[in-house]
Amino acid sequence: MSSAVHDKGPGDGPSQKETHVSRLIIRKVAVLGAGVMGAQIAAHCANAGVPVVLFDLPAKEGDPNGIARKAVEGLKKLEPAPLATKDRAQFIDVANYGSDLELLHGCDLIIEAIAEKMEWKLDLYAKVAPYVRADAIFASNTSGLSIETLSEGMPLALRSRFCGIHFFNPPRYMALVELIATGTTDPATLDALEGWLTTRLGKSIVRAKDTPNFVANRVGVFSILAVMYHTARLGLGFDEVDALTGPLIGRPKSATYRTADVVGLDTLAHVIGTMQATLPDDPWHAFYKSPDWLSALIAKGALGQKTKGGIFRKDGKAIVVLDLAKQDYRPSAGEVAPEVAAILKNRNPVEKFAQLRASGHPQAQFLWAIFRDVFHYCAFHLADIADNARDVDFAMRWGFGWAQGPFETWQAAGWQAVAEAVKADIEAGAAMIAAPLPAWVFDGRQGVHEAAGSWSATDAALKPRSMLPVYGRQLFPEQVLGEAAPDAGQTLWENEGVRLWNLPAKDARIGILSFKSKMHSIGDEVLDGVLEAVARAERDLDGLVIWHEAPFAVGANLQQVVEACKAGQFDMLEKTVAKFQRASMALKHAMVPTVAAVQGMALGGGCEFTMHATHRVLALESYVGLVEAGVGLIPAGGGCKEFALQAASLASRTAGGDVFPFIQNMFQTIAMATVSKSALQAVELGFAKASDDIVFNARELLHVALHRARALAESGYQPPLIQRAIPVAGRNGIATCEMMLINMREGGFISAWDYRVAKAAATALCGGEVDTNARVSEAWILDVERAQFVDLLKTEKTQQRIVHMLETGKPLRN
Amino acid sequence: MSKQIQDAYIVAATRTPVAKRNGMFRNVRPDDMLAHVLRAVVDQVPGLDANEIGDVVVGCAMPEAEQGMNVARIGVLLAGLPNTVPGITINRFCSSGLQAVADAAARIRLGEADVMIAAGTESMTVMPQIMGNKVSLNPAIFAKDENLGIAFGMGLTAEKVAQQWQIGRDEQDAFAVQSNQRAAVAIAAGAFRDEITPYTVRAHVPGEGGAVRVVERICDTDEGPRADASLQSLGKLRPVFAARGSVTAGNSSQMSDGAGAVLLMSEAAVKRYGVTPIARFCSYSVAGVPPEIMGIGPIEAIPRALKAAGIGKGDLDWIELNEAFAAQALAVMKQLDLDPAKVNPQGGAIALGHPLGATGAIRAATLMSAFRRTQARYGMISMCIGTGMGAAGVFEKI
Repeated sequence: MSSAVHDKGPGDGPSQKETHVSRLIIRKVAVLGAGVMGAQIAAHCANAGVPVVLFDLPAKEGDPNGIARKAVEGLKKLEPAPLATKDRAQFIDVANYGSDLELLHGCDLIIEAIAEKMEWKLDLYAKVAPYVRADAIFASNTSGLSIETLSEGMPLALRSRFCGIHFFNPPRYMALVELIATGTTDPATLDALEGWLTTRLGKSIVRAKDTPNFVANRVGVFSILAVMYHTARLGLGFDEVDALTGPLIGRPKSATYRTADVVGLDTLAHVIGTMQATLPDDPWHAFYKSPDWLSALIAKGALGQKTKGGIFRKDGKAIVVLDLAKQDYRPSAGEVAPEVAAILKNRNPVEKFAQLRASGHPQAQFLWAIFRDVFHYCAFHLADIADNARDVDFAMRWGFGWAQGPFETWQAAGWQAVAEAVKADIEAGAAMIAAPLPAWVFDGRQGVHEAAGSWSATDAALKPRSMLPVYGRQLFPEQVLGEAAPDAGQTLWENEGVRLWNLPAKDARIGILSFKSKMHSIGDEVLDGVLEAVARAERDLDGLVIWHEAPFAVGANLQQVVEACKAGQFDMLEKTVAKFQRASMALKHAMVPTVAAVQGMALGGGCEFTMHATHRVLALESYVGLVEAGVGLIPAGGGCKEFALQAASLASRTAGGDVFPFIQNMFQTIAMATVSKSALQAVELGFAKASDDIVFNARELLHVALHRARALAESGYQPPLIQRAIPVAGRNGIATCEMMLINMREGGFISAWDYRVAKAAATALCGGEVDTNARVSEAWILDVERAQFVDLLKTEKTQQRIVHMLETGKPLRN
Repeated sequence: MSKQIQDAYIVAATRTPVAKRNGMFRNVRPDDMLAHVLRAVVDQVPGLDANEIGDVVVGCAMPEAEQGMNVARIGVLLAGLPNTVPGITINRFCSSGLQAVADAAARIRLGEADVMIAAGTESMTVMPQIMGNKVSLNPAIFAKDENLGIAFGMGLTAEKVAQQWQIGRDEQDAFAVQSNQRAAVAIAAGAFRDEITPYTVRAHVPGEGGAVRVVERICDTDEGPRADASLQSLGKLRPVFAARGSVTAGNSSQMSDGAGAVLLMSEAAVKRYGVTPIARFCSYSVAGVPPEIMGIGPIEAIPRALKAAGIGKGDLDWIELNEAFAAQALAVMKQLDLDPAKVNPQGGAIALGHPLGATGAIRAATLMSAFRRTQARYGMISMCIGTGMGAAGVFEKI
């Protein structure tokens, strides 16, 4: 620790602002209903380290917990994986309502997630209520039923701790949870629950009003209905509409109809049915019905992905799409007209929307119409369904994966011009219904989001963000268009590749190092930046955090590598690799603690920086791996060396002290370019340590990393010693890796070049061609790594792989 | 016929049922399985003075960890045999059990012993890697192309045999289906009942109130056979060892746990104890072949063993040909023109399992049972061996 710590002035150290984690203590959760949502919610609680009891009906035959048990088994096979590692399933106990209700006594939070039938839910509430502790929270994951009515099914004593808690599918990956209070819900309980969901489960919360389908599904399902309506009106193909309503307009790749297939056409029809049944006075009520073709598909049992056919279907390798005119499937094409594509490429949203509206092309008319009707719908219903416009926009981003919510899209396109256009269309009878836009739309505003807050139609005022303490942990929260930017901190030093900065209001003496490169790839400037930042941190600061938005880093800057190869500058490349190794070693052996705050991809060199930091703070969704083999290379930024060190350390605790069994797994990880599918798996693979922090809400990453760096500094941090006598697997180890490789090569699973690359990795991991159990230094292994790397780089086949990756983004198997 | 002083006779034989790897014997130690069959085979000869047992030769393909430390001697002591009885563990991979019978017989034939036990034990469950607990290859293997076959996995060698002998996927699957069907029929008919000494597995699991609960289960039937195996079900399996290969989990032998033992005597001992021998040990042969096509080993070993026994292949009534892989078994049968009806009439390792070093002793128990139940006069046990060998042993019913 630097002596400067004694000279700290006011404001220099950590701030005292209250930013605590939720004080709500949830030791155990019960989930009632082991269906798709219930089981996955249980899985995510288990991911978060909270034991769960998963209930369902007693099975009619055999094991009475058979239904819940089968659901837990199913979790291990589902993709995308609900479990962060398969072994988390052991923290989900299975139970049934017949004999196990006593178990509810031990649960602090009970989430009901059974089928969407009011009478079934009420029956269940009556049955379980006697077993629910008075201080437990009881919440329903209903996607649309009235929370108030459900609450009336609970005994009076439990109603203050009853609310709606609406997760989105798949709950691990979809950020949104809608929280819905009743008239009797205790506000402090709901606030505490919001904090818990935000930090512990990593969810993004929107408070919804107790109206059918709440916010996201209300708007999202309407948007689907509008798309269906205009598809039919303009005679477009389903594939054509999916091409239009996907990434081109900032929505997920599965766009509209493929999303419907994935969700299940029956589920979609059910949600539409809820709106039809519960919103009789809604002006759009006439549109709340499934189109005939949808009902026909459901009647035929073509429910989408789960029945291997719906609107789309796989036909061998080809994908076919339902053609309503032919009443048959045809090959899916989905072309966007060049003139429409050109409009969508326009980066100026004001011009883009004006051009869409003005164009006579049916695709452009379609796009304008679906935006117009959603704008119309959202403005009309804002007061009923949500507290403010920010909640609607966030609900659509977090629940439906839209890049921008409807209000911010409108605001970006020019509030007044769009409002007038929508009004004109309504008056001309072009919109879906004739009801006018609410008056506030025309009160001279330029939008609904401003620095002071977002528009609340209910209160006719701008509403600031939630001030709950949990949000103090989000130093850079997700923002809607038009919001005031948060404190960007103070730059301490920067070059082309990185910015070293701090947040004086938080902790002036912890430096934050952020990469500026595209996808945070690591080129020469970033390496210089890391070395300089470490030097400055040692001189002027108490610790260093590497943090930026995801991805953490996608690896080395391959463009620079290819250019140097073409110019035959292999000496220079070797120097760059040596610099990479120096940067990794600087992070590990700096005199101040270094903390890698990882989210998203941390690949290749990004993984090596992660491995070398003093400590890691990883978002749950961290995809970490040494993927160099894909481009015909091996980890040479110290990755192989770190694995060799780990193997030696693990082996030292075994009776025989044999390092190879540990090397073998690591070798496979490198040779197969395995990438972790979660932070927990990154620990299993050896890219992170069990003692690292796993943060479920990526928005809290920087907060945690700064505090971790501070804690390390305050504990009198001393860097680890550079090891001089590491036992390595040596020649026998390399031969044993080759045995695996020769079987794969002879079996036709890998190419001769894969063999060559993997052997290079084996050589580095085993510490070179030395005797088995020879003792080597860290520097020795780094030299082996570097020599193998540069040898590969000089070959045509590896260069082909790198170029192919740059050109196509995919690995070449040559 | 080879020169010898006297004949060796098999007077008793038994085995455990064979379990799937991680199956019913997942918590049973291989030394316990061995002790079990040693006790059982001695019990089959009432009045035997165990002190007369010259040696206990035990085959084991991976004699390490739970089956290390000279498992033969440990098995002898755990079986409650007098501590005067010695024990030796031998290893010739998959033929270790048969090699044990041959070695035990050889001691009698040379006049060095009157009573011998040959056995085999193997738990593939206890081996985290199929190649043993610690795998470490010699770098010299990779220095010369002609040595690379040493590093080939067994499945890969089966692919090479399938290619070279042109044994197609359908043919392999059909053979596997037949193996399963024959085994299922034999089990249903009780054909294995006499040769199996049931094993009581005692599972120790956490119970109520901190007590360890002991759950007993009597195991008396081979676990491997799949009566419902069909061309269709096997056809769905993907090749394991080669991307475009034909060898699958369904047409390969199963990894298994099990043990077997036979008791051999000289003619003098037979007379002294007044026992009725089951069979006479006629001959044994091993031969080397290229490691990368190790599955064809029996093609070299069988003719030599038959020649030593002084018979022709037409004299054989019952052949236990180990089905390491359908591909190699079919290649051997084709090349030697063996009668498919006489090969593995009760199914083979694809159905019944292949606990490596125990298989030879286990199938010896099967052959002895067949001698007792059928009219078969000459029987043979043969198998291929990893790193490129084959073994065959010939027996004559008394």
